[in-house]
Amino acid sequence: MSAREKKRFGGGALLRHEAVLCVLVAAEWLCFNAVGPRFGTLENHFDILRHSVEIGLLAVAMTPVILTGGIDLSVGSLLGLCAIVLGKLWRDAGVPLPAAIAITLAAGAAAGGVNAVLITRLRLPPLIVTLGTFSLFRGLAEAITHGFDTFTNFPASFLFLGQERWLGVPAQAPVFAAVTAAIWLAVHRMTFGRTVRAIGFSPEGARHAGLRVERRIASVYVLSGAVAALAAVIYTARLGQAKADAGNGYELFAITAVVLGGTSIFGGRGSVHGTLLGVAAIAILDNGLVHARLPSEAAGVLTGALLVLALAAGALPKVLSDRRARRTPVSPSPLAKTP
Amino acid sequence: MPASPPLFAFKAVRKSFGAVRALRGVDFAVHAGEVHALLGENGAGKSTLIKIATGAHEPDDGSIEIAGEPVSGLDPAEARRRGIACIYQQPALFPDLSVAENIALRLEPAGAWRAIDWRERRRQAAMWLERVGAAIDPEAEVRGLSMPQQQLVEIACAIGAGARLVIMDEPTASLTRREQEQLYAIVRELRAGGVGVVYISHRLEEIFALADRVTVLRDGESVGTSAVGDIDEAGLIRLMVGREINQLYPAARAGAGETVLTVRDLGGAAAGIDGVSLELRRGEVLGLAGLVGAGRTELARVLFGLAHADRGEIRLDGEAVALRSPREAIAHGIAYVPEDRRRHGVILELPVEENISLALHPRIFRGGWLWRGAERLLAEEFIARLGVKTAGPAAAAGTLSGGNQQKVALARWLATEPRVLILDEPTQGVDVGAKSEIHRLIRELAEQGLAVILISSDLPEIIGMSDRIGVMRGGRLAAMLPGKARPEDVMAAALGRGESAGRMA
Amino acid sequence: MKFNSREQVSMRTAESGMKYFRELSVAVVLFGLLGVLAVVAPAFFDARPLRSLAAREAPTLVVAAGMALVILCRQIDISVGSQFAWCGVVAGLLAAQHWPLAVAAVVAIAAGAMLGAINGALVAGLRLPSIVVTLATMVAWREGLRWWRQGQFVDLPENIQWMGFSQRAGQGMLITVGVAVLVLLAAGLRKLAAGRWIYAVGSDEEAARLAGIRPRAVTFWVFVAMGALSGLAAMMNVLQSPQVDPKAGTGLELRVIAAVVVGGVAITGGRGNLWGVLAGALLLACVSPALTYLHVEAYWSRAIEGAIILLAVIADGVRSGKERR
Repeated sequence: MSAREKKRFGGGALLRHEAVLCVLVAAEWLCFNAVGPRFGTLENHFDILRHSVEIGLLAVAMTPVILTGGIDLSVGSLLGLCAIVLGKLWRDAGVPLPAAIAITLAAGAAAGGVNAVLITRLRLPPLIVTLGTFSLFRGLAEAITHGFDTFTNFPASFLFLGQERWLGVPAQAPVFAAVTAAIWLAVHRMTFGRTVRAIGFSPEGARHAGLRVERRIASVYVLSGAVAALAAVIYTARLGQAKADAGNGYELFAITAVVLGGTSIFGGRGSVHGTLLGVAAIAILDNGLVHARLPSEAAGVLTGALLVLALAAGALPKVLSDRRARRTPVSPSPLAKTP
Repeated sequence: MPASPPLFAFKAVRKSFGAVRALRGVDFAVHAGEVHALLGENGAGKSTLIKIATGAHEPDDGSIEIAGEPVSGLDPAEARRRGIACIYQQPALFPDLSVAENIALRLEPAGAWRAIDWRERRRQAAMWLERVGAAIDPEAEVRGLSMPQQQLVEIACAIGAGARLVIMDEPTASLTRREQEQLYAIVRELRAGGVGVVYISHRLEEIFALADRVTVLRDGESVGTSAVGDIDEAGLIRLMVGREINQLYPAARAGAGETVLTVRDLGGAAAGIDGVSLELRRGEVLGLAGLVGAGRTELARVLFGLAHADRGEIRLDGEAVALRSPREAIAHGIAYVPEDRRRHGVILELPVEENISLALHPRIFRGGWLWRGAERLLAEEFIARLGVKTAGPAAAAGTLSGGNQQKVALARWLATEPRVLILDEPTQGVDVGAKSEIHRLIRELAEQGLAVILISSDLPEIIGMSDRIGVMRGGRLAAMLPGKARPEDVMAAALGRGESAGRMA
Repeated sequence: MKFNSREQVSMRTAESGMKYFRELSVAVVLFGLLGVLAVVAPAFFDARPLRSLAAREAPTLVVAAGMALVILCRQIDISVGSQFAWCGVVAGLLAAQHWPLAVAAVVAIAAGAMLGAINGALVAGLRLPSIVVTLATMVAWREGLRWWRQGQFVDLPENIQWMGFSQRAGQGMLITVGVAVLVLLAAGLRKLAAGRWIYAVGSDEEAARLAGIRPRAVTFWVFVAMGALSGLAAMMNVLQSPQVDPKAGTGLELRVIAAVVVGGVAITGGRGNLWGVLAGALLLACVSPALTYLHVEAYWSRAIEGAIILLAVIADGVRSGKERR
């Protein structure tokens, strides 16, 4: 516990982390630009953007969740479920698409609300609750589609959102930008973010200061659910189809981006722009390797290595100084946290 | 016992953490069969000293001698082998494991692959628990035990391990009077058995009652060792702070104004109080005395909306109010500085300014927008007003000393401009200098017309500070005494005249 | 909560009878399900399909037992699925080149232990949070394997499946190995000092250190053991089919964590035991086949698994809520 205490007071550490990440992203870009002839084209950048919007959305909405010291493993499954709900509403229930989208977003928020209720009312660890809903949401998607049903033939007006350009940029980009800006403002310029951080550092301390801890925690999970639904809409529009396995494994990519972006898995410390850099680092790597004619699998290996390096770089000086003091605690897994 | 080298000795021990010099030359020796008290302000180096003695830290310089023989490379296992045991203020037990297993983990030899004899573990545990007079089921899980019970388990561990040196770190901080007496008896028995006891305490009267010698630490140095017979309280305090404190408590007492808070028959089983009625007036300091668990903190939690009463009523300025959450309590002008400063009072990782504004969000952050300038102004005002020693408003609260953290906690609540301020053990674990500053501040606030409820286990503090003293026992208000009450009267009321003393649900 | 000591003692004694309440309740649910099946669909208990099911789930059980050690130690390991895949491929390649099966098994276990040691070194040595470390190694190993194998299956020679025995004998042996591993680990956790150290470290690391236990060493070796058990499980999996799938073990991590949690091991470390994990793993394993026998469409199985996990944790939450009062 005292190791954590020491770690907590490194105020400038986060800024430094983001600066390093910024340099890294720039280095990646320059590297691939030198190697891959087509990498630097505008069209390719739009491609990168298009492919990273869904995970980007999940990661940006995951940031406040992790800032409270929680985690949401259910977002990938929820993306799948929402894609199915959207397809089902539109094709089988005959709901017009705009209404279907609205209902889907509400369903996502409600699903986030299920997590929120279990976590705040019953004070269960978020890791376990969302592990349960991770299975439940995916299972429901499979149950609704009987495991094979696929929704396709969406109208072009809908596919526009995922495949066409609007004002010269991919149509989903403004949506992503708006959501990111809103969450950034909430986290960094509003009391929302302040209370989220306070809760991440010390839920009991926040409660004693008169903050509405449960309500705030609930709100981050509802937000995460709603954004997952939005990601589902964009995902469906981009691929032109909705299947029960949509977004499989996205939760881990999103968490990776958040942590790579410098947000502490223990809560309290982190930033939305850090998360964006994390998403960019992964997305550019993914795309650049293809242009550099390197196997795309290297992206995963490098992402994993990057994640460990990012963490180790922060931890190493402390380990060395602690070794002298012979203090030897191991970080407990943060999953133990309940609000 | 023949004249022998000390059981355990520190010789010119130094230790630094980065730029902080925690110990700058400590000489300290404990003999067998001696109770040696260790005294010092917070931050004087007591905890570092303990950690070096138990092998958790290695000294940078100087030597440690055990029975006259220098030792180096002391680690926790080695310290344990050499018969050094420590009873921490917060017992370092395994909450998920049984009492028997907790004891066994301390007593059994090392060796990862040895087999475990559960029956023997239980037998041993029962034996050692009986030795320290603890009626605790060896099968019980430690998480269900009260703090004093856990301390008894710790002591059983130490005795079972055949400890020759037992270090006790403020062992009576959370004990009732009767439990204290029981502990004293155990300490005396240890001493009679030739064990050396290092006894750390903030309570001077305890030191005079129990110790043979006393060493004072100040700023990481040992500034003096004396037999307790050769020194008095004033002398000890002088050594601790390096100056004489003439006036411990601010004297002025203003006349109290009209009634602010009226509590009638407030009670509830879950809340832990049972029919409390009291009145609090403007400009008054109402002390709440009582044993730990008597219902003082519980009453404060109900008044602050953290716990809920089943019956009774709370009136503020004559108007009945429902306090369902801290937020509602704050809106009604109630402020509560909690007992556990590090966990509840401040958020250690947040900057001082954010800690100060934390309870004020709806008021200064209109529309949920962080107006940083307003926050900074507020923080600077209170830092100046309370004399908070900090590198600046943006410094993390955790970088401040205990006393200054407490001032930050206080600033947060003063910023809400409360009508009623509840202070729960505001000077616990705060050094002597900051303590008197906080006392002065409480008095000032009362003179400005604030109604203050002061919960404290420090009897001189309660008597010195309060205009009236409410004594709680068993969740009830057992007595209301005048501010100049005799300590014996307060204690008698808290104990219920000695006979039925004890802690209750 | 404050009690006087006598009340405290009596309350505790009453509760010690309930010590295994959590494990027992999972067992009751499991037997309830089996009971329903016995009445409604006795075909479930036909020896052949049941044996197949048990053999198929034996590797999962072994991994779940390892995961229980990790969670008891207050850590988590998300990388087990990737470890499982690597060890399977390595063992498969050795077997395909006609190395003796014993060698393949030893190499698989050693490879797993090595992968586990990397996690252990990062978590215990550098003190990084295990959830992030193992998330990183999970992605890295999984993609590394895909890079190397390009999705190619490893074809095994004829005599590898069931170790050259009959299917029935082979399955029997695998089930025996799975159960034996679980029983040995359960006994070790209870009867060996090392086992108790895992509980001690998971319960309170600082207290463990003060009691002379080396928490970092314990943590490191727990991750090594987890890796070795993944390797063993992978070998048990290889022996069941004519090919090794390089994507084997995808999603295994969350499945075994679910089994451990349903089995009543506290995610906060230090509480729980392997009998609960056995019950939890069996319960989750039975869901999908049970649905088939109960004529519920199989695609409901994931949703029901999720519901079981949630019900188990809700029960825990309600119970600890009562204890808090």
